[in-house]
Amino acid sequence: MSNVEEQELKDRLSLIESMISEGRRTTESWGWTFVLWGVAYYIAIALSAFGPSAIAWPVTMIAASVLTGVIGSRISARQPETTTGRAMAAIWIGMGISLFILMVCLGMTGRLDLRISVAIIGAMLGASNAISSIILGWKMQFACAVVWWAAMVAALFTTENIAGIIFLVAIFFCQIVFGIYGMIAESRRNKARAAAQGAFHG
Amino acid sequence: MADLPELNPVIHGKLRLALLSLLSSVEEAEFTWLRSKTASTDGNLGAQLLKLEEAGYVAVEKKFVQRKPQTLYRMTESGREALTEYVQALKQLLGSAINA
Repeated sequence: MSNVEEQELKDRLSLIESMISEGRRTTESWGWTFVLWGVAYYIAIALSAFGPSAIAWPVTMIAASVLTGVIGSRISARQPETTTGRAMAAIWIGMGISLFILMVCLGMTGRLDLRISVAIIGAMLGASNAISSIILGWKMQFACAVVWWAAMVAALFTTENIAGIIFLVAIFFCQIVFGIYGMIAESRRNKARAAAQGAFHG
Repeated sequence: MADLPELNPVIHGKLRLALLSLLSSVEEAEFTWLRSKTASTDGNLGAQLLKLEEAGYVAVEKKFVQRKPQTLYRMTESGREALTEYVQALKQLLGSAINA
């Protein structure tokens, strides 16, 4: 075998490796969902404080879920389905349904208390962020999980008013700031990949 | 040299090899996604995918999503086997070149 033929075979092998890793790399965008849900939490808090408090959270959460589904299906319509994408959806949908049912039931039975609510939300979001960060290998998201866990602990050892402030601060950093950071990082990643791609011919 | 394996000519083409490798890592992929990943033209991509389909290595499904037509490609079991055999043959050939 000549050196040219050997090099061609090596090129074929590296082409296979690069294409497999390119396909596995998730190109789905998650940053916008954090911002959307952060805004939804703020709207729900504002509505429950100044408007119809009993239905503020359920209505806002259902509206945010519908909006996430509609925008998500439009964004991912042309993306391939990957195991990572399905794992991400499974974590957040599972967490969302659990949290929704629990909070509605706590509200209906009159056992809802702000400190307990913040602790439950902190625990659930901490777990979901931690699992996502490990799957995606995204260290910054693990920092969000730590903030939610810290909020969970702090809320249980303080007054209701301070627990409310802790919740607002955690939403700001873990949803709004992290979401915007995620959107910027995803945009940079996609631009870098687009620039690095070359054409293949028959 | 008589024991060395032959490389499958259907897979050996660069674009077809890139397409099969991409499809091996996802459950199914849309035509436009494959086009963007390989930076190929519609005509060339369609022709190469047709060859893979004729060989039974990929399956095609056409459907409408949000009233827009979509052509989805999925790697078949025989496509996966063919790619695995191709990689093994490549490694064997490269191994023989190193040992020669």
